[in-house]
Amino acid sequence: MKLSVRMVVVLTSIGLLSGSFLATVGHLTKERIALNKQREIEEAIIQVIPGTVSTQKLYEERDLSVYGGKDEQGTVIGFAIHASGIGFQDRITLMLGTNTSLERTNRLAILDQKETPGLGAKITDAESFLQYWENRDCSGAISLRKPAARSAEELLPSEINTITGATISSEAVLGIVNSSLEHTRRLLKEGKLSSEAQDVN
Amino acid sequence: MELVAIFISAILINNFVLYYFLGICPFLGVSKKIDSAFSMGLAVTFVMTITAVVSWVINHWILIPHELDYLKIVSFILVIASLVQLVEMFIRKISPPLYQALGIYLPLITTNCAIMGLALLAALRDYGFVEAVIFGFGSGLGFTLAIIIMAGIREQLDLAEVPEPLKGAVIALIVAGILALAFNGFIGMIK
Amino acid sequence: MSTKTIGQEFIKGLWDENPVFRQLLGLCPTLAVTGAVINGLAMGLATTFVLIFSSLVVSSIKKLIPSQVRIASYIIIIATFVTVADRFLAAFFPPISKNLGPYVPLIVVNCIILGRQEAFSSKNTVWRSLIDALGMSAGFVLAMLVLSAIREILGAGTFLGYQVMGAWFEPWIIMILPPGAFITLGILLALALHIEHRTKSRK
Repeated sequence: MKLSVRMVVVLTSIGLLSGSFLATVGHLTKERIALNKQREIEEAIIQVIPGTVSTQKLYEERDLSVYGGKDEQGTVIGFAIHASGIGFQDRITLMLGTNTSLERTNRLAILDQKETPGLGAKITDAESFLQYWENRDCSGAISLRKPAARSAEELLPSEINTITGATISSEAVLGIVNSSLEHTRRLLKEGKLSSEAQDVN
Repeated sequence: MELVAIFISAILINNFVLYYFLGICPFLGVSKKIDSAFSMGLAVTFVMTITAVVSWVINHWILIPHELDYLKIVSFILVIASLVQLVEMFIRKISPPLYQALGIYLPLITTNCAIMGLALLAALRDYGFVEAVIFGFGSGLGFTLAIIIMAGIREQLDLAEVPEPLKGAVIALIVAGILALAFNGFIGMIK
Repeated sequence: MSTKTIGQEFIKGLWDENPVFRQLLGLCPTLAVTGAVINGLAMGLATTFVLIFSSLVVSSIKKLIPSQVRIASYIIIIATFVTVADRFLAAFFPPISKNLGPYVPLIVVNCIILGRQEAFSSKNTVWRSLIDALGMSAGFVLAMLVLSAIREILGAGTFLGYQVMGAWFEPWIIMILPPGAFITLGILLALALHIEHRTKSRK
């Protein structure tokens, strides 16, 4: 065989073999990978809206999705806002649970962050940060208490305690929460968050 | 605003070399002289910007519409390898002086993980077209900045008395560590 | 063709030709994912998988590949196994896959793997290539373990997530940040050079 022909034949056959092998691997793992992603989101929703039995995606765009958490009767008992934005080092992705009128927060969960370990990364820590997000008044903008108050009782209903030594990370989370809340409130007013509208499945 | 944030953070905050550890081989290998470091940086910036464009097109026009996600790694690496060849031939034809300056660095770039890393990161973060290009260009500038500073320090180090076991790669790594420490100061610039 | 005994073929990867400490190859993953032992270990094993299977395939079809297209062929073969490793981790170990992020696909540009194909598997028998791949992988995993153990213990006070340092210990956060990676590897390399120097001068 001529060299050039042999080169083409060898490269093509290696390419074809590898392609078909990968197609099989891709096919075998596709469902499981999709399931893993879905499960991660669902677990976060159940975490931020306690009592959720099933979930439904109500709205989606880049950097912001809104899910409804439903009880056993299928009534929406709260919204879960899945949002991301710029943090101290890299993007922060979070899930915030609120009641159905968007006036009180339920809980906050940080899904993805690369803040400084030991300082900014405390935004994932329940004791020093996340506990303050439970049951806050979010009918207006939430604000940070700086310097941090000693106990949760000293805070106003719409205030969050700052992490000492990680003000910027705390502010970044606050910024993402406030802007996504405002956005979601607008969506709610425009009637884009009704669960009946997309209740096909 | 978002575009500016991507650009600045690609250069300073999430610097390719000092934060993602991509492109370490050329960073240590071609940073002995400022001139060659500058040419290397230029070549990488050039190829990175083109790679950002091409990998975005492949990902969004071919791989995603046909659900060929599992071919991403194979197709990216093949495209990058052939792209570098094409760029090399093109530059040799168009501008011999530029080829003289960049020529020997271009083949080195093929196996440079920074280029592959750029294509993968842009795909992973789901960047739009303009964002991907800005990210590619910014990352290239970030690489250039890091390698030039490194070369500047190493030129001075030639005159210093470095202990025997620390010579060469070791002192380069320790300098890189101090440089990374300095770049930590940029964190939190963008809010 | 290599003329070493099988034992020597394996052992050389651990020290004499250790890919990280002696050949300075594959530094990107070595620096990037060694902030925690679990990540370093997962990375080491994923690289092992890719190196072993690429070496097996390349050494068994080496006579069929014309030398002009050998690099392109090796790259396709390596990229195929990297994709398998990436999909496998994403499907069965999602948290690890998330931690390692783009560094799993980046195994494809790890110079150790292409380097072994070009320098060894393309010239030696399947059996020898397997032993060589095993030895090199063991050397790589060893380097990842040493580096990540130092960084995790000093930087977080833990090993594989378990607290090993007492309450008195204030973690050196810098060790799990990028600067700690560069400096730790630098010091380890200096140690490796120093040991090598002393054993040589004694002979």
